[in-house]
Amino acid sequence: MAATRRLQKELGDIRTSGMKSFRDIQVDESNILTWQGLIVPDNPPYNKGAFRIEINFPAEYPFKPPKINFKTKIYHPNIDEKGQVCLPIISAENWKPATKTDQVIQALVALVNDPEPEHPLRADLAEEFLKDRKKFIKNAEEFTKKHSEKRPSD
Amino acid sequence: MSFIVDLIRSIIQSMLQLLSFGKKTIANSLSIYVKTNTGNTISVDLDPKWDIKNVKEIVAPKLGLTPEEVKIIFAGKELDDSIVIEDCDLGQQSILHAVRAHVTPNKVNVHEEHPSEASKPLCETLTDLQITGPERDDLHNEEELRRIKAHFFVYCSSPCKNMQTGKLRVRCLSCGSGAFIVDRDPQNWDDVLKEKQISGVCENETCVGNSDGLTFAEFYFKCADHPSQGENDSAVPLSLIRSNIYEVPCLACTDVSDPVLVFPCDARHVTCLDCFRTYCSSRLQERQFWSHPEYGYTLACPAGCENSFIIEVHHFRLLTPQQYAQYQRFGAEEYVLQAGGVLCPQPGCGMGILADPDCKRITCINGCGFVFCRQCLQGYHIGDCVLDGDGTSELKGDCLYSVDPNRADKARWDDASKVTIKVSTKPCPKCRTPTERDGGCMHMVCTRPQCGFHWCWVCQTEWTRDCMGSHWFG
Repeated sequence: MAATRRLQKELGDIRTSGMKSFRDIQVDESNILTWQGLIVPDNPPYNKGAFRIEINFPAEYPFKPPKINFKTKIYHPNIDEKGQVCLPIISAENWKPATKTDQVIQALVALVNDPEPEHPLRADLAEEFLKDRKKFIKNAEEFTKKHSEKRPSD
Repeated sequence: MSFIVDLIRSIIQSMLQLLSFGKKTIANSLSIYVKTNTGNTISVDLDPKWDIKNVKEIVAPKLGLTPEEVKIIFAGKELDDSIVIEDCDLGQQSILHAVRAHVTPNKVNVHEEHPSEASKPLCETLTDLQITGPERDDLHNEEELRRIKAHFFVYCSSPCKNMQTGKLRVRCLSCGSGAFIVDRDPQNWDDVLKEKQISGVCENETCVGNSDGLTFAEFYFKCADHPSQGENDSAVPLSLIRSNIYEVPCLACTDVSDPVLVFPCDARHVTCLDCFRTYCSSRLQERQFWSHPEYGYTLACPAGCENSFIIEVHHFRLLTPQQYAQYQRFGAEEYVLQAGGVLCPQPGCGMGILADPDCKRITCINGCGFVFCRQCLQGYHIGDCVLDGDGTSELKGDCLYSVDPNRADKARWDDASKVTIKVSTKPCPKCRTPTERDGGCMHMVCTRPQCGFHWCWVCQTEWTRDCMGSHWFG
C-alpha cells in the first residue's frame, strides 16, 4: 500500500526532525492512517497552551488530501466549535500528492499563530479580531487557559 | 599461420553446420526464420554465440549464393559480419531477412570507410530514445553507459495480456517488408511514434515506395516475453513507462523503484507503477477521469501540471481487468453524454443512446427495450414530468387481476435505492448530477470533471462570499 509506506516514511522523518511546534505524535500501530499530535503555537494569545489535533489520512493518500480536526477547543476565527479547520493546502482543489505532511502542519501552525480574518469560519470572532483586538486577545487568552492542554516543559 | 586458423575455423563451422542440418540441438539454440526477398522462408537453428558471418555461410548455399553476396537485415539494420547473434536482441522464431547484395566488389572497401558502428544492431542504439542528447553527454564514464540498458515496455494483448518488455522493430511503411535499412537511428519517441520521420532503403524488389517514390520506415514493437508469432505479432508501446535509470523517487510514495511511469508534463513527474495504479483506481472510483476530445478518457499528472494528459490510453491496462472494464464503461458513458446522448436509466442496463435532440420518447433499442422520457428518465409518459418519480410505466401487462397502485408503488425493488438517492443527494445546480455530501463544509464542487461548478449545499445556487460568512460549516 502506497499510503502506508509513505506515511511510515513521513512519520519517521517528522519524528527525527523534532518539530518544535508539533509534538507528542501518537499513532496507533494498527492504523497509521490516523495521527494525533500537539500543536504548540508561539504567538500570543495561543502561546499559553497547546492544542491537540487529529490528522486523518484517506486510504488513497497521497492522491487524496488528509483531513485535520482540533480535539482541543480553541478561540480562533479560522477554526469552528466542532474543531473543523479550512486549510487551503489540503482542500480538494489545491491538493498535490507531492505535498508532505510536515508542510501541512507548518501551514496549520502558521494559521493558528496568525489568524486570517478575511476567510473566517467564525464570523463573530473575525469581527472581534478586526474591530477590537484587545478584547479578542483577552477572550482568547482566557479561553486558552481554560480549555487548552499543558505545553511540553522543554 | 593464419590459413591454419582459417582452416580449423571452417572445419568447426562445417561441423556445426552439419549439426544444425541434422537437427541436433545446439546448446541454447535459437530457432530463426530467414526470409529472402524472393519470398522464400527458411527455418534455421543458430547458436547465440555465432556471428553474422556464420549465419551467412549457412544461409547462402540455400539461396544459391556465396556468403559474400548475402546481406543480413534485422530491425532496420544491415548486420555486420562481426556481430554476434546474442547481441542482436533476437528471440525464438524471430525473422531475419537475407537479400542479395547489389554491389559485391566494393563492399569490403565500403565497410572500411564506415566503421562497423553504423551497422550496430538497432537495440544498441536505442538508449538514445530514453535519454536525450544532453543527458547522454553527462554520462561520461563507460560504467554508467553500460548500466543503462534500453528497455521498452509494451502492452501485449495476446497471449500475455500484460505489460511486458518490448522490442523495437522496423518495416517498410509502403510494402510492409522487414528487409528495410534505416538511413538513421531514431533519436526520440517522436521518431518512432510519428509517421515518416525516418527514411530508408527497402530491399523488397517489388516495392515502389510511396507516391513520390520514397521509402519510409515504420516502427513497431514486439513483446519480448513470448516467442514471435509471425510478422503481424505486435504490441502497443507504453512510451511513458521507462527504466528508472536516474533513480528518481516516486512523487507519491517516495520509493525508488523500477520501472516507473513518467508523466508527459514539463516537469516529467515520476510515479512508481503501484502508485500509478492507486492514482488511477482512486480517480476511477470517483469518476474523475477526463474526456479529452482527442485522446479519449484519460488522466493528467497527479501534481496538476498543464498539458500532461496521457495520450496512449493503453497505459490504463495496468489496472486490473475489472477496473479496466469499468474504465471502458465510464469512458463510453462520458462519450455518449458529451455527444448529447442519454444513458438508459433501467438498473443494470445503462445502454448509451444517441437520439435526435428533439425526441422526448426514448426506446432502449439495443439494450433492455425500456421506453422512457428523456427529461425525467422515468417510464415514458404523456404530459409534464412528475418530479416525484411516480411516472408510471407504459407497460401495463396482461394480468387480469388488479393491484392497488399505492401498494404497488411501495413494493418496487429499486425504490429503496431511489429513495436513498433522493434523500441523501442534491443535484448540482448547473448539470443536475446527484451529489452526496459526506461531511466537510457546505462549499460543494461538482464531481463531474467537466462541470466542476462551485455551489452551496444550503442555497443550491452558486457559492458566494455570503455563504462563506453565514453558513460555511452549516
